[in-house]
Amino acid sequence: MVAIRVDGLCKSYGAVRAVDGMDLTVDRGELFGFLGPNGAGKTTTIRALTGQVRPDAGTIRVLETDPAVEPLETRRQVGILPEQGSPPSFLTPREYLEFVGRIRDLDPDTVAEQIALWADRLGFQSKLETLHTDLSRGQQQKVMIAQAFVHEPAVVFIDEPLANLDPIVQEVVKRFLVAYAAEGNAVFVSTHNIDVAAEICSRVGIVADGRLVAERTPGADDEPLLEVFLDSVDDADARDVPAGDLIER
Amino acid sequence: MSDAPDGQFRTARAVFVALALEEWRLHTRLFGGWRFAAFPVLIAGLAVGATVALLETGTDPATISLGVHVLAVGFGLYSGTAGFAGSDMLENVFGRLSLVLSTAETLPLSRRWLLGAFLLKDAAFYALVFVLPMATAAIPLGGLTAGAIPAVSALWLSLSLAFVAGMALTVAGIALRTRGVPGWAIVGAIAILAGTVWTAGEPGLLRSILVPLEAPLPVAAGLVVATVAVAVGSLVLYDPAYARPDRTASDRFASLADALPLEDDALVSKTLLDVSRSSGGVWKPFVSAAILLALVAGLVGVVREITGIEPAPGIFFGAVLGLSAFTTYNWLTQFDSLEAYLVYPVSIEAVFRAKRTAFVLVGTPAVFVPYLGAVVWFEATLLDAAVGALLLAGYGLYYYGLTVYVAGFDPNEFLFDAVRFGAFTAGVAVAVVPTLVAGFVVVPPSPSVAAALAGSSLGFGAVGYVLSSRAGPRWDARYRAR
Repeated sequence: MVAIRVDGLCKSYGAVRAVDGMDLTVDRGELFGFLGPNGAGKTTTIRALTGQVRPDAGTIRVLETDPAVEPLETRRQVGILPEQGSPPSFLTPREYLEFVGRIRDLDPDTVAEQIALWADRLGFQSKLETLHTDLSRGQQQKVMIAQAFVHEPAVVFIDEPLANLDPIVQEVVKRFLVAYAAEGNAVFVSTHNIDVAAEICSRVGIVADGRLVAERTPGADDEPLLEVFLDSVDDADARDVPAGDLIER
Repeated sequence: MSDAPDGQFRTARAVFVALALEEWRLHTRLFGGWRFAAFPVLIAGLAVGATVALLETGTDPATISLGVHVLAVGFGLYSGTAGFAGSDMLENVFGRLSLVLSTAETLPLSRRWLLGAFLLKDAAFYALVFVLPMATAAIPLGGLTAGAIPAVSALWLSLSLAFVAGMALTVAGIALRTRGVPGWAIVGAIAILAGTVWTAGEPGLLRSILVPLEAPLPVAAGLVVATVAVAVGSLVLYDPAYARPDRTASDRFASLADALPLEDDALVSKTLLDVSRSSGGVWKPFVSAAILLALVAGLVGVVREITGIEPAPGIFFGAVLGLSAFTTYNWLTQFDSLEAYLVYPVSIEAVFRAKRTAFVLVGTPAVFVPYLGAVVWFEATLLDAAVGALLLAGYGLYYYGLTVYVAGFDPNEFLFDAVRFGAFTAGVAVAVVPTLVAGFVVVPPSPSVAAALAGSSLGFGAVGYVLSSRAGPRWDARYRAR
């Protein structure tokens, strides 16, 4: 069952065409990796899929909603972990997750259970009463991951899920994402990390120059994902990509 | 940084140049190229216009000079906070914008040197783009003669010294904070010092310190030496390793949101907690209103001295105190961004609506408490006090709506955008100028004047409500189209 469908998506910022004819679909039960170099259009695509920016052209369906037309309904049904952390807030993690729960009309008891669950899962029990602005970046990222899943959405958009996390928590998050997708949810992960994409994603789309240039199923295709990525980006992306021979150093 | 003195100075120079370039680009990119270039012209226009108007209404030139210097000191006090990454405001406003300021964490640069260069750059930059246009007030003060350029230059130097002295005082305060001196002790010491000078009957000395242009040479020279000494001493005293311990809080969000019978209770509660827990706490809006109260009270005294007529205090304070809506709104938007709300299922319209509710909850006591004090102190008649209260409510909402509509979620930034700042100033003048004239001419207000002003208050209040309601869709469209 298709959870996300994108046809001919375009979005420009002035003269810069950030997304230029993106086509993709993601089914429920898939952990879809959205892989590409810096500036390839990954974050803009996520922002368009979640109604944060209005596309210039193209059609989008996310769980039967059109984020360009009804962005609040889309955001009500999905979870979003933005690339940039939240700005400094003087709420504690507990209060922040209560805030998110109230915005999402969740029952307070459910929110309390989710707070306990996520604090235990990612290890921020001792920080539940610390002001968010005084948390380390890693701790802030844990809280932001929790807010994306607190309402158990059927589709989740995640931009760089492992940023600033220690190796133990990275492993926990990776396993959780795989299990969450296996429960029939669609998990859309934008990342630069080829190894992580190859390890956890059921399908990987490679984006360059604002469009999808290749798709692979890790494990099923013989060619290493790094090779596919380098070939795709060399062929398609005319932006600032480092010289291939330097990668050998 | 190299230990050799010439190496240190070479590095400091490179840092200074990078900071100056960054400052220039920050303003020109953030506020739109030529619009920022027009900002000094706008300030000069306001300075000349206000001075001409004050002279025409019979204000003593010496009083005008004092007023301009007080403004320069106030701006310096405010600008001084920008030098230290310890304050919440700096982290939020400048922390993500200044790459060079954060290089002390990644490059072998002394944080003291870096901050010194940063403050020096700020002093030079604002002396040029802000204080120099202010100094054009010397033209109407001295007349458009051959001596106008030297007069502007002299006033510029004098104002710059007042501005830098203000900066140095703030820097000293922050340096003391990094050494563990509590904020209340610093504020208390300043208040006691000011009170002592005031009650000792030495306004002449205070005036000499505030207005170097009119001070005897030894006093002016002393102020220069003292400012440099305080600035350098503060940098030496400043503890670069100072770090505030993690702050904790018990769960207040749920109970606060439950207590608010509002549609946007979660958004309002978040804003209220952000404001009350950030540096300065819930008292920040009160302090802003108190500063405005002191300025207006001083103005009332000046008018009484010159004309022998005391303006209607209710009308006067009611019309002007509402201007604190700008600073109150600034505090309410200091700790979040519109982009951050785009990941939740809330509309930008709801965010603006919540800010307006928070503004009413925070701003009402912040202006009505000083207003009540003022009408009692200046012995306003009952009718005058009642009209003033209406003006305070209606005009306050109007100033708020104007700020939100013109500035969106970034009221601090629009101060430097000549077009938007000009529109805001014109919008304020439309309401406040005729009202103040009425407050001058008919004292105490007659029933017909009172009725007209009450109608004006309701009308402007309605305009403010509409403007603040339209701000949501207006800025929503702008953000989503980006």
